[in-house]
Amino acid sequence: MKPATKARGLDLGIYRCHVCGLLNDQHEQYCDRCHAKITPRDYRSLQSSWALLITAAILLVPANIYPITTLVKSGNVTHETIFSGILRLVHADLLPIAIIVFTASILVPWLKILGLGFYLSAITFKIPISKRKLTTGFHIIEWIGRWSMLDLFVISLSVALVNMGQLLDAQPAPAATAFALVILFTQLAAKTLDTRLLWDQLDKNDDNS
Amino acid sequence: MMTTPEQPKVVRKKLFSPVWLLPIIALALGAWLGIKSIRESGIDVRVHFPSATGIDVSKTLVRYKGLNVGKVVDISIDDQLKGVNVDLVLDYRAGNLLKDSTKFWLVTPKATITGVEGLDALFSGNYIGMLPGDGDYRDHFEAERESPAIVPSEDGLVVELKADKLGSLDVGSPIFYRQIPVGNIVSYHLDEKHHIQLKGFVQHQYAHLVKQDSRFWNVSGVRVDASLAGIKVDTESIASILAGGVSFSSPDASKEAESEQLYQLYNNEKEAHGGASFLLTAKSADGIKIGTDVVFRDLPVGEVEELRLTEDGVAIHVRMDTPYSELIGGTAEFWTEGAQLSLSKISHPERLISGNVIRFSPGTGAAQTEYPLLSSAPELDGNPLKLTLHADNNPGAAVGAEIRYRNVTIGQVTGVNLAKDFSQVNVEVEIEAPFKNLVTQGSDFIVQPPVQVNASLDGIEIKGTDVGNLTKGRIDLRPGNGAALTADATLPIYESAEQAQLAQQQAQQLTWQLYSSSVAVNPGSDVYYKKMKIGQVAGVKWQAEQDQFAISLAIEHTYQSLLNERSIFWPTEALTIDGGLGGVNVAVAPLSGILKGGISLGLLDESASDNHLLYASKSLAERQSVPFTLQLPVNSAMKAGADIRYLGNSVGTIAQVHLADDLQSLRASAYIDGRFADQLLRSDSQYRIEDAELSLRGVKNATAVLTGPFISVTPGKQTTRADSFAVQAADDGIDNGNPLQLSLVRAELGSIKQGTGIFYRGILIGKVAQYQLADSGDHVVINAIIAERYRHLINASSRFFDLSGIKVDAGIFSGVQIDAGSVETILTGGIGVATEHPATAAEQLPQQFELADKPEEKWLSWSPTL
Repeated sequence: MKPATKARGLDLGIYRCHVCGLLNDQHEQYCDRCHAKITPRDYRSLQSSWALLITAAILLVPANIYPITTLVKSGNVTHETIFSGILRLVHADLLPIAIIVFTASILVPWLKILGLGFYLSAITFKIPISKRKLTTGFHIIEWIGRWSMLDLFVISLSVALVNMGQLLDAQPAPAATAFALVILFTQLAAKTLDTRLLWDQLDKNDDNS
Repeated sequence: MMTTPEQPKVVRKKLFSPVWLLPIIALALGAWLGIKSIRESGIDVRVHFPSATGIDVSKTLVRYKGLNVGKVVDISIDDQLKGVNVDLVLDYRAGNLLKDSTKFWLVTPKATITGVEGLDALFSGNYIGMLPGDGDYRDHFEAERESPAIVPSEDGLVVELKADKLGSLDVGSPIFYRQIPVGNIVSYHLDEKHHIQLKGFVQHQYAHLVKQDSRFWNVSGVRVDASLAGIKVDTESIASILAGGVSFSSPDASKEAESEQLYQLYNNEKEAHGGASFLLTAKSADGIKIGTDVVFRDLPVGEVEELRLTEDGVAIHVRMDTPYSELIGGTAEFWTEGAQLSLSKISHPERLISGNVIRFSPGTGAAQTEYPLLSSAPELDGNPLKLTLHADNNPGAAVGAEIRYRNVTIGQVTGVNLAKDFSQVNVEVEIEAPFKNLVTQGSDFIVQPPVQVNASLDGIEIKGTDVGNLTKGRIDLRPGNGAALTADATLPIYESAEQAQLAQQQAQQLTWQLYSSSVAVNPGSDVYYKKMKIGQVAGVKWQAEQDQFAISLAIEHTYQSLLNERSIFWPTEALTIDGGLGGVNVAVAPLSGILKGGISLGLLDESASDNHLLYASKSLAERQSVPFTLQLPVNSAMKAGADIRYLGNSVGTIAQVHLADDLQSLRASAYIDGRFADQLLRSDSQYRIEDAELSLRGVKNATAVLTGPFISVTPGKQTTRADSFAVQAADDGIDNGNPLQLSLVRAELGSIKQGTGIFYRGILIGKVAQYQLADSGDHVVINAIIAERYRHLINASSRFFDLSGIKVDAGIFSGVQIDAGSVETILTGGIGVATEHPATAAEQLPQQFELADKPEEKWLSWSPTL
């Protein structure tokens, strides 16, 4: 027997409602309080997370290749991709902003996808990694992921405010949608994943080790 | 409490979660985007531009109908260095626009007076316009220099307009319908017949306004009709003033136009709407110009469109306004009418400025294409009598002048022109029908001047006509003898009543022909009889063969009896002074004769020898003088006008004296009294020069002192007649026959001179012929001649002495002794001669005699019987 402190609900026959957090008997199918369906582990979440992650990864490609904004300036139409926009900021000697945009628009999504991929791989392929590191990394990914929406926020503001017809106009381009989907799907992928699977796996590994 | 375990529900684990659809969808989306981006990657097109000015890589866009269809991706200089190759990437959808005749051009902002073109290019920068065409696909093009005419959209209506000239139309000129712009001119070009063919585009929403029978006209510019009637300014819009425009109107009942239907573009609205058009023919345009109105009841119903010269006049194109087209019938009559300006009435003064108008009477029947244009209104009630009047010169008749009879207007002048052979002026007149009968044979017309001033010694009379005729003048009819006129009779028209009277007199005048070799009178000079005018000189002609003037006289009929065989003619002298010692006779001709000259007629008591000769003067005429010539010594002081006398009676006169060519003689034209011509012009008649001689013995030829030398004539006995005589100098008889010639010598000449007489007992027997200094110089030799019949008085015993002067010897004791020959010799000088005894038989006359200064006393006492 393991010490109680390390006991798992699964082992004790107690399932925690993942909606309201009530501990239910393992025989209960539905939560006494909120009538949500009770499962000891959501193994399907791993698969969902993978699917969402892969979707995000796929969408990351057009999000970077296609222009994210269409800018009409004096009737002259320019298309800006994420990267060309950053380059433009760099050329305009706005390096700090360029770094922020680079972080939010490129670094974070990539890191998130890679990180999630790593965690999912760790779960799926039972890769032994330190629990603490994993947990810290996962929190970072979750926390930072929301900032990726910064780009879209700027775009939506621009579109709303810069609207002077042929003189000056900003329009979202296809990549904006793709980019938004990337962020959405990575968020979903992180959210969907039943992190307990991670611990199960790690515990086993710990046990094995 | 027992709980029956529930039968576990076996849930088959799904192999795949539905969530895997998401990556599949994402993949599909990505793939679709990828494929799409490949598909839409754009088409590379190369356009050759003459210059890259205004084209920027990746900035300059390609637009088609305002849509971005591509952009410039590269600019490079072409191989020939003649331009630039501009590489474009066009939207993939533009692929089917790239055909052989697809056009590319650079759009730059262009501001013209009518509008700003490519204004969008001001903001967007220049762009490359594109117009798709037909043909096969291609991807390299030559750029157009100018933007081609773009039919704005397929939806509108394209109309073709044909015009003779472009006017101020241009691409972009608006098309108006009721002054609303409904379209534009999009292009124009010359067609093969050198007409301008314009393409107009009418916007879709207005396309239905264009009908098959629509009329298009040019509304370019401003049309200003300024006249006394007001100022009319026609214009569509400011833009059309500046840039021109086309307007159109459509009849309601007409089908809608087809696309690209061809219309005539008229020059103006009137032309476009013009109804019937026809031709007027006239001799001259006479105040008609393009735009002259055709009026009916003073309402403009049409206007002159075009004036054109034809072989025999002017062709005037007239277009009637549509509503009035039906007015013109086959028997319509057209005439011009201008302002009628007289002091009594001013009608239509605006026509002074606007020019004449064309009026017409509508007529009936089918309209013709050509009408004559009359110069005055046709008489509407009955045909007027048309007459042609003739005059040598235009008597001052003007078209429109009224013809009056007893100061009632009965007609007017319709035309004044030269006869075909230019021999006279024809004045066309029309007499109104009711007055036709006033004009009869013998009628004549007299132009009445507006103001008539008769100034004479009696006073000045000024006669005016009524003010209405001041400007046009007026012509009075004088009735004739009542006999009806023949068909094509012409009547005379005169400048004045005097001229008419004159002409009438002339018609009854007798003609008398004169000739004169020396005297010319001016035609028009009067002919007088006893200072009364009886006729005129009608004409003077020079007849070279006879070397004379032929003068025809027109003598009034009443003086017919004066022209007979006794008539003689001479020029009227203004002032004749017949001066002689017998008195002075001054004759003054009538005043008009002085001014104009003239011919006087006289009657002789007997038949005149030549009643067709114009004598040089009255005296010649009266004497029936016969001309002949005299040859005078060159030193004779004979002058024209000198008398020819027979025993002191004047029988002729010298008319002219002139020096002969050889300078040795004078030739004188002389006249001799016709009555004595037979006797005095005999071949042996003698003519001598007589001059005045003044001596104490008497005055000889005293009249010659006043008149100068004259010619005396001695009749001959021969029967043959001569007309030329040599005149001898004045004759003292000494030279006649065989005079004695002798020489006198003397120390000095004293008062002796040529002609000094030689006296014997106070009787003139000889004279000094000449004298000269002796060769030795110590004395003077005087040649004297003694008349033949006195030569026996001279012999060797003769003594010659000077009689000249007075010798006074005065002494205290002797007293005063005055010696004088005779008073005559005191005045004229003289030589005395005394002879002592008769000549002995054998005696020879000495060669020289001495001329003593004074006679010895014994000489004077000699008294031989010789």
